Order: sequence, then C-alpha cells, then structure tokens
Amino acid sequence: MLPTWPAAPPSGAQSSTGYATSYSAPAYTAVQVRQSFGQSYSTPQPSYPLAHTYGPSHSPSPSAVDIARNVNLPPPAAASEPAKTKIDWPDSVRRYVQRAFIPANLDSSVTRAEMETKLKETITQANEKGVLNTLDWDMMPLPQHMIREERARALLTLQPKQPAQAQAPAHAPGTKKRKSWDLADGAAPTSSSATPYPWRNGPGRLEHRVSFSPDKRDEPLKQSSKFNRADKRLKRHEGEYTTQREETPPPLDGPVVGTCQNLEKRFLRLTAAPKPDQVRPPYILRQTLELLKKRWKKDQNYSYICDQFKSMRQDLTVQRVRDEFTVEVYEIHARIALEKGDLGEYNQCQTQLKALYKLGLKGKPNEFTAYRILYFIHTANRTELNNALADLTAAEKKDKAIKHALDVRSALALGNYHRFFQLYNDTPNMGAYLMDMFVGRERLAALCNICRAYKTDVPLRFVTEELYFESDLEAAQFILDHGGQELLQDRGGTVMFLTGKANNLFEGARAKAFSRVDIKGQI
Amino acid sequence: MDFSTAFFQEFSEAYSERDGYRLARTVTPDLPTDKLWKIWKSQNAHSIRSFLKRGLQGNVAFADHEELQGWVEVYAVYWNAVGEILVALVSSNDDKSKSSELVWTRAYQAWTELLNALLRGYQNSKFKNWTIICLYTVCKHLRIFAMKADDERNSNNFVDDSPAVNFQDDFDPETNKRQKLEDCVRQLFKAFNVCQQDRAALEESRKWGSYYIANLLLKSYFKLNSASLSKNILKSLHAGGKDMPDFSAFPKSQQVTFKYHEGVIAFLEENYAHAEACLTDAWNGCHKDAAKNKELILTYLIPCHLITSHTLPTEALMKQYPRLQKLFLPLCRCIKRGELHKFDLALQEGEDEFVRRRIYLTLERGRDIALRNLLRKVFTARGVEEAKEGEKPVRRTRVPVAEFAAAISLGSQEKIDIDEVECLLANMIYKGFMKGYISRQHGMVVLSKSGAFPGTGV
Repeated sequence: MLPTWPAAPPSGAQSSTGYATSYSAPAYTAVQVRQSFGQSYSTPQPSYPLAHTYGPSHSPSPSAVDIARNVNLPPPAAASEPAKTKIDWPDSVRRYVQRAFIPANLDSSVTRAEMETKLKETITQANEKGVLNTLDWDMMPLPQHMIREERARALLTLQPKQPAQAQAPAHAPGTKKRKSWDLADGAAPTSSSATPYPWRNGPGRLEHRVSFSPDKRDEPLKQSSKFNRADKRLKRHEGEYTTQREETPPPLDGPVVGTCQNLEKRFLRLTAAPKPDQVRPPYILRQTLELLKKRWKKDQNYSYICDQFKSMRQDLTVQRVRDEFTVEVYEIHARIALEKGDLGEYNQCQTQLKALYKLGLKGKPNEFTAYRILYFIHTANRTELNNALADLTAAEKKDKAIKHALDVRSALALGNYHRFFQLYNDTPNMGAYLMDMFVGRERLAALCNICRAYKTDVPLRFVTEELYFESDLEAAQFILDHGGQELLQDRGGTVMFLTGKANNLFEGARAKAFSRVDIKGQI
Repeated sequence: MDFSTAFFQEFSEAYSERDGYRLARTVTPDLPTDKLWKIWKSQNAHSIRSFLKRGLQGNVAFADHEELQGWVEVYAVYWNAVGEILVALVSSNDDKSKSSELVWTRAYQAWTELLNALLRGYQNSKFKNWTIICLYTVCKHLRIFAMKADDERNSNNFVDDSPAVNFQDDFDPETNKRQKLEDCVRQLFKAFNVCQQDRAALEESRKWGSYYIANLLLKSYFKLNSASLSKNILKSLHAGGKDMPDFSAFPKSQQVTFKYHEGVIAFLEENYAHAEACLTDAWNGCHKDAAKNKELILTYLIPCHLITSHTLPTEALMKQYPRLQKLFLPLCRCIKRGELHKFDLALQEGEDEFVRRRIYLTLERGRDIALRNLLRKVFTARGVEEAKEGEKPVRRTRVPVAEFAAAISLGSQEKIDIDEVECLLANMIYKGFMKGYISRQHGMVVLSKSGAFPGTGV
C-alpha cells in the first residue's frame, strides 16, 4: 500500500465487490477517489494477492492445442485438428447427412465430390453461426438440390437483361453463401480437405476415394484437395464466376474466419485483408482474455496489455464478432486504459462500446455512459456533451452513476464548486480517474472565485475543506505551486489565506488550465 | 421535358436568353411521374447520345465543340437517372413487394453520375457560369435522394458488408446509418470546390454558386450531427474572402440561411457574441412571412440574449410564436421573479425539448440571473439606513449570509449548507452579477454602496 493512499482499502478486496457479478476475475483496479492532487500516473499500482488465485493456471506456456481441446466447442472447418478430437454432432445433422446419401435422393448430374463440398459448407456455416442445434435439418434442402439451384441461378445471370435489372442477382440470397465458401476454400486449401469429418466415416467413405462419379466431365479426382478446385472450374464453366466478378467486389469481402491458435498476438495495423491463419477465432480469444486478465493483475505491464487488447479488438472486428464477449473485451480495455490515464485508447473503446450497446448487447452501458459524460466534461466538448445529453433516456438519468455525472456537469456549469467537490469525493465506479484529470483546473477556478469574493482573509482550513485537499499541507502546497507565497500567513497557530491580496494571481493559471484540453484520438 | 424537338427548342431559348432558372428546369427530377415516363420512353440507351448531339448541334450555336459534348453527356446521364428514379418511384409505391433491391440507392448513384457530368462540364467543357442554377437543382436533389436511400436501407435492415470494414481495427455500425448522406456530403464538397476555387473574373465566376452549395452542405452536416465539420466550409469561405463577391450581393435567401447556420455553429461553441451578431443579421434579413425560419432563428437568439445582455424576450414578441412561448415563457417568468426553485422545475420540465434543440446548457445559465434577482430582493427588502442630516438615504449594505440562505431555500424548503450559499455568492461576485465581498469571519456580505447589482438600478 502506498503511503499517499492511506484511506484506500486494499484494492484486491474492493475489486471483488465491484463487478464480481459479471466475470470472475476483474482486470481493473477499483478506485477510491485519489485524495492527492498532482501525483503522476506512473506511480506503481497496488499489488494484488496472486498466489492462491492464479497459481496453477498461470504456467507461461499453455499450448494452444491443449486449450482448444479443453474447450467444448467444435473447431472451425479449416483447422487441422487431430482426427480423434471428439465432436458431438447433433443427431439431426447426422440424419441430414444420411438422407443426402440415400440412393433414391442421389442426382446423376451432381458428383459425389460436389455434394460433399456442399455438405461441408452447409454444416460448417451453421456451426459458425451457432445455429447447428437450432436449424431444422429435416427441412433443409439436400446438397444436390442446392447445387442444382445454384446452377440454374448461374444460368439465369447469363441471359441478357434490361440495364435496370442487370445488378439484381448480386443481391440474390445465394451469393453470400458462395462468398464464404470461396473464403473457406482459399483459406486452407489442403488442410480442409484432408480433415476427416465424421460424416465421412460412414459407408460412403470408400466410394469417395475411388470416385465413381457418374458424370465424367471432370478429370479423375485422385486427390481430395482437387475437389474444390474442380468444382470451382465447373462453376466457372457455367458462367457463374464471370458474371459475379463484374458485379460484386472481389470474393474476399466476407468476414474472415480465423484459424490462428496462438493466445497472444502483437498488434499490427492491417494494410491488406487479414489472413485467416493470423486471426484468432472467438473461442481462442476467450482464452486470451482470461490470460490477459491474469497477466494484468500480475505484471501491470500496460504497454503489453494495451497492445494485446488492440490485437484482440482487431481480430474481433475482422471476423465481425459483435456479441457480449466483444462488449466485455472493450469494457475491460476501457477500464484498464482509464486506470492508466490513456485517454486516447479509452476513447476508442468508449466509442465502440456506445455502438455495441446500441446493438442491444448486454454489458454495463450506464457505467460507461457516466464515463462518457465525465469525459466530455474533461475535454470541454460542448457539442458532444449536448449530443450525449440528448441521447439519455429518463431511466438512464435515474441511474446512480449517470446521475452523478450529470450532477457534476451541472455543478460545474453553475460554478458550484462546493457541490462539485462533494461529488468528487463520492464518485461511483472508476469515474474518479476521469475526474482526477480535471479536478486541478476546477480547483484553480474555485480559488479564483474565493480570492475575488472573500475579503481580507479566510483560514487555510476553509480552502482545504472546500476544495477537498487531503490536508492543509497539500492545500498550501497547491497555493505555493501557483506563486502564492505572499498569501499565506501564520496567525497564532492558524494559517490564514490572504484572499484580499491575491488580486488576479490565479487567473493566468486558470485560463491556461482550461485552454489546454487536447487529447489524441478525441472524437 | 421529353427528348424531342421541343426539348431542343427549350434548351436553345434558355441558352440564348442566358436564363439559368429556365435551363435548370430541364434537369429536374421533380416532375409528375407521367412526365418522367415520357422522358424515359422518348429515347433509348443506344441512340440517346447521337440524338442529343444532332439536335443540340442543329439548334444551338455553341462556341466550342467541348461544350456541346458536355451537354450531350449531361442529358444522356440525366435520361439514365430518370430511368432509375422511375424504378424507385414505382417500387416504393408498390408496398407489398418489399423488393430486395435498394432502389433509391441506385437512383442516388445515377444522380451522382449526373452531378459528376455537370461538374466535368464546368471544369473541362467551359460551361458558362449563368448555368450554375442547373448545379443548384442537381445538388439539391442529390441530397434528397441520399436521405431517401438511407431511410430505405435502414428500414429494410440491409446488412452492408463493404470490404472496407475489414481494414479497420474497430467497427462502427453507426457510420452505416447515414452512409449515403455522408457520401452526398463528399459530392457536395466537390461541387463546392468547383464553385469556390474558380479563378475566372467575377462576372464570369462560379464563385456565385458558393453560398448555395455551402448552405446545402451546412444543412447536411447538421443532419449528420457533425456541425463541427462545418468549420471547414466557414474557413474556406473566409479564406477566399477578398476574392469573393461581396456577401451582400448574394441573394437574400442565401445570406439568411448562411448566417443562421453560422450563428448556430457559434452558439454551439458558446461563442455567444458572434452567434448573436450572425443570428441578428439572419433575423433582420429574414422574409417577413417565413414564420418557421423566424421561429428557428429566435430559438437560438433568445438564449443568446440571455447570456450576452441578460435580457428576456417581451411577451408581445413571444405571443407571435406560440411554440416559443411554450418553450420559454415559464423559464422567463421564473427568472424575472427570481424564483429559483420554480426555475429548476421549469428547466426540468422542458429538459427533453431543450436538449433536443441544443439550448439546454445555455438556458441553464439563466439560473444565475434568477439567483441574482432573488438576492436583489433580499437586498431591497432590508430597506435603508437612517438617513443622515441632509443626505440621501442609503441602503443597508451589510447582509448576513444566513438571510441569503433563507431566501434560497424558501422555494424548495430544503435546508442549504451555509458553505454552499457562500459558494453561490462567490460566484455571483466573480461573474459580476453582484458587487461586494464576503467576510467569512462575520458571516456577512458587504455590498457595494453604489450599484450592488449592476444593471438593475440598485
């Protein structure tokens, strides 16, 4: 415990009460209002009790595969998993696959290879979308039917059209699917086809190797890796690819599906479309988050943490993962950035969070709305503050944290420093970190007020109390720091502050403090 | 006008008379549907250009072959855009087929082509500056189509997965919402530069179009909630100041619209003096019958006056604008009577509306004046000292802080901390509402003998 924070309770204990409901290992330090002004942010943070919580799990090299195995999620299609990995495919999916291969349902114009590709595509997509268990597989069109439909559609696009309708097929529901198929294909051409899927273990397995395709349009399919290529060629043959090229952007424009299994990754700004093998899928990112939380508590290495969080945010973005986990990542990064006074990074998270909450995702919207208001007070951004106020609902205005932030705003707008410093002393959540950033300038403003309004003198204690200095000494130091040596006088044991003599002593410092609000990354 | 001989006649007459407004009517999409159909059906994509070229060549004596080409292009693209607009009109009338296509987006894009053809005409094909009205028409409708396209996309919940998203570290679904209007702003900015940066002599300059386009841009920025971006336009117009025609030489309507926006931007930045000047200009120039516009100007001008000169609008003025009366009257009454608590309640009551109009933060500062009036009442209620022989009676200038405290908590019946009262008094003194000082030792406020409350007669 630092000597400058005598009043603060052990932060480990504090944090466990704050947000324990949302996640087990909070990655921020809950904060008491900091009583000392002018303390730099580089002061070491209070240490955390480590041993009992993170002992075993913190071994530095949890290999990615180990972790993947522990997770009860099926791996993405392209991942090269060992064959024995047990995937629990729902019965409905198994039935669907079986139904596809019933001889009565087979279609002579569709090769087995095409069918399998289609099947794989359908199931993988359902898996990725998380609808594997909810889809009505019994009603699902069979792969051979889908393929036939696609062909028919491709033929349609070849026919001449009126200019006004020429682009219509680009919006057809089928195209999107095809794009992600291309993607999966391009992502891992060899490993994907080498992966043994459960449905290949059935009676059909031998056939597909030997390939008794009744349709001999394609060259003999000796290697499974050629299946996709052959299929592609077939489609191209039918004109599907040519028409598509003209009308839509390059095929790689769907969300990436990551295959990277490393937990940690350095942040690099993307200059080209991301490669799937360098992007971590959400189930890996969840592991990453747990790891980072522990790291943060243990090492408090902000540059490492910030870098890692940025790469995590990037991976989530390129995969278009926008769910409650995304919210959690941004919330934690925002809190850590706040704690470290990294307003640029904090602000980016805050902007994202606002958008995410708007999507209806759960999180702590009120906590962050309150920060947002405090942030705009700090940056003196009138326009945005106005917008933020306009966005508030009646229910939000009643929330404790938001109400506090609004009261702070109102107190400052009316110059009510008495009220402001009371609120400063009683800030919910981590808002005090934000208030710390402008409490200095508000003290100057209040001091200017006091010097103008009170004649002859006031006890120094009055200043200490009104402006919430921790001690008379600190208040005196603040006055001395701004050139007020002449204004302090010891009068029989009581230090007096000679307001009458101050004239405009603090006006310059005040104006300067209010003019300099420049933050990188500010919206 | 459909593309037949009548069209060439119209063009040729408008051209020889140099009548921009007449010419602009040949590129408007704002026509009844049957007229649009006539235009669309009068030609086909194959022959429109050769048809236009022959017709324009035969009827109009262009000084330059380039100029002919330019107009051919403009009308050919216009014809195409009309086709898209028809598709959009038909399918948006036809409710039940919520088509999978974004018809207004396509109409918007086709119309963007028209703007580009026109801009190329100005830059490369020596279009004359009197034809700038055509640019007005095209720009005005571009903005309308952009908003329609945005509404259409938002109501249909289209997921727009543009590839650019992939390259960002973070995403922002908000940006998609007004995507086309944002694009429109970029297009308008191009048009603005084509006007603003024309170096021809003033009588032939396109600079005359600057304010019209600037106004469209400002409107769009406000709509996008990014009024701060408007600064670029203002700066650009300021920088080109001496090369620009005199502001008063522009049409009054453009002056008023521009001044209004300039005033509101200053208002939002709390530059009330400048805001007051601009809004006053707009107020004075505003057409007497433009009630809606006058109301908009007053919405900001009244709070401005409250801050700059501590003045309230007269009841006679507000009577003319029932909506403003409803908005401001309760507050004004409380301020006048110094009813602090009622002021708070009135502010709370109207909060949603005030915030929506972005005047809440300004009106909130009216509390200072209400407080000043209340304190002034305390002061006057204390009466005067015994007058000395032959001298004028003097007010009692020493007021206990407790009396002020009693007055402040009179309305709300809530006890207020003496320190907080002192803080409020200190603010009054600091802001110049009250002259005097606080003596903390004695719990007294000593007010100035001459003008304790400046500007109020005591």
